[in-house]
Amino acid sequence: MKLIYPKWQKLRGQTTFNLPPHGPVAYAATLPEYVDISFTDENVEAIDFDEECDVVALSVMLSTQVKRAWEIADEYHKRGKKVFAGGISAMLHAEEFVNHVDSLFLGESEGRSELQLMDWKNGCLKKVYNYMGNQPPIESVGPCRRDLYKRDLYNHKGVQMVDLFHASRGCRFSCYPCAVSYLGGRKFRPRPIDKVVEDMAGIDNNRLFIVDNSLAQDKEWEKELFRAIAPLKKKWISHTIEDDLEVLDLAAKAGAWYVYQAVYDTSDYIKERVKRYHDYGIGVEGTILLGLDNQSVDDCKRLIDFLGEIDLDLAEFTVMTPFPHTKGYDDLLRQGRIFDFDWNHYNAGQVVFQPAKMTPDELQDVYEYAWKSFYASETQESKMFRLFCNVALREMEEGTYVPRNRALANKSFGKDVDRSAPHQNV
Amino acid sequence: MKVSERYYDEIFEFKGQWDMPSTCGLKIRTVDGKKYVIVTELYQDNPGTSVTYAGRSLADQICEAKGFKLDEVVYLECNPNTNSKLSFYDEEYFEVDFNADKQHMYRRLSAEEVKSILGDEAEV
Repeated sequence: MKLIYPKWQKLRGQTTFNLPPHGPVAYAATLPEYVDISFTDENVEAIDFDEECDVVALSVMLSTQVKRAWEIADEYHKRGKKVFAGGISAMLHAEEFVNHVDSLFLGESEGRSELQLMDWKNGCLKKVYNYMGNQPPIESVGPCRRDLYKRDLYNHKGVQMVDLFHASRGCRFSCYPCAVSYLGGRKFRPRPIDKVVEDMAGIDNNRLFIVDNSLAQDKEWEKELFRAIAPLKKKWISHTIEDDLEVLDLAAKAGAWYVYQAVYDTSDYIKERVKRYHDYGIGVEGTILLGLDNQSVDDCKRLIDFLGEIDLDLAEFTVMTPFPHTKGYDDLLRQGRIFDFDWNHYNAGQVVFQPAKMTPDELQDVYEYAWKSFYASETQESKMFRLFCNVALREMEEGTYVPRNRALANKSFGKDVDRSAPHQNV
Repeated sequence: MKVSERYYDEIFEFKGQWDMPSTCGLKIRTVDGKKYVIVTELYQDNPGTSVTYAGRSLADQICEAKGFKLDEVVYLECNPNTNSKLSFYDEEYFEVDFNADKQHMYRRLSAEEVKSILGDEAEV
């Protein structure tokens, strides 16, 4: 099987880091052992369309990957190959996807992917394997096939990128811009702690990104999780952690490196929330969503100025984007405010709707201003380097530090580093 | 984000996108000889597809279940007030024209229009 993760256009002006993708290797883990898999992440290497294979599987996460996935499917169809597709964006854009591939897999594949393969082998492949809303037991989620990664391609100047990891699926929240509850169910489904520990311990990387939507969904499970993973001495990034001193303490002891925290207003609560993370030695990357209906240009600028007062380690700005199967999509569609349905533009950096209190151009400008303003005194790469130093020091204290791979010091994601360039946009 | 029961007379179960089991609130009112079908998004109590995304398919399923013809009813989607601090959870009603294109399918009802249909049940 040729397993492919399609490329997408990276956001202009931002430092690009290619992380080893999670979806393809999670899917690969659900395939029977007899399947011989060749994996290509097109973001770090070109696809060899003439490589021998029996069948092709496309794993798609982002809306900005879907049109490229269709192009890849077309190329393989010219070569007479059957093409499967699955993943988050295959589910979000399923009605269109089904017209471009031979077989679409909807839902979670644990215990189900062999059926699709057997049907293909027996000449009775179905157009859709539909498991939407019918999640497999969470206990059946096993370790990903990380052996499929070409590790050197996820290395920047000798430093290995974090591995992605998930400790739960589903979400009990229905947040305005988010589709996770549609995709994984409106119920938080934590993995059994012993499985999480076993899985995490098996990863040949001390630095992880726990990609769960929010760990703050079941306080007791969260505390048990942190206690259980602490002995592994991994260092990890995650989304929001419960705002509770005991949980923060346990998270810090369990190796919390930095967290993504939404900064949605200029309140003292946000300021104190960030401070509480820092008090426990946990870094904070603020995530700032611009273009909500209550925001004018001035409101956005006030919010951006506020970031300077709360000592964020990093900030990530996005513009409101109405991804299908989100409340944001429903609302803006009903209000006739979505003017662009080109999925290549759904990258959270390009305005595709009419904001309520500003023009699309003004929102685009304020988005550009936000990035420039926050990183005016210190570049994103430099701020990242400081966070990196923090974690390296902690690892040295604990004896888990792995020095950078000197053999790859002049490589960035498989390509030669051009040291003559004044600013590396890797 | 529980939706108040005042938004519906019954919970309507429907097949969402890709047959996902889905639910919405449903009210049917007849005013001046016009039949109004009002569907309400239930958020956390809807395990599947939203009423807006289900769109025409949901309207067809309600009409089939109730013995209506779609072209003889006024089909409304309700965005219920969930008492959230966030403005996008305020109450709104939209009339849906399934024959129009995506950008012109929905017309927001004024407070007066909502009042004329729902009387004292209306909040807006």
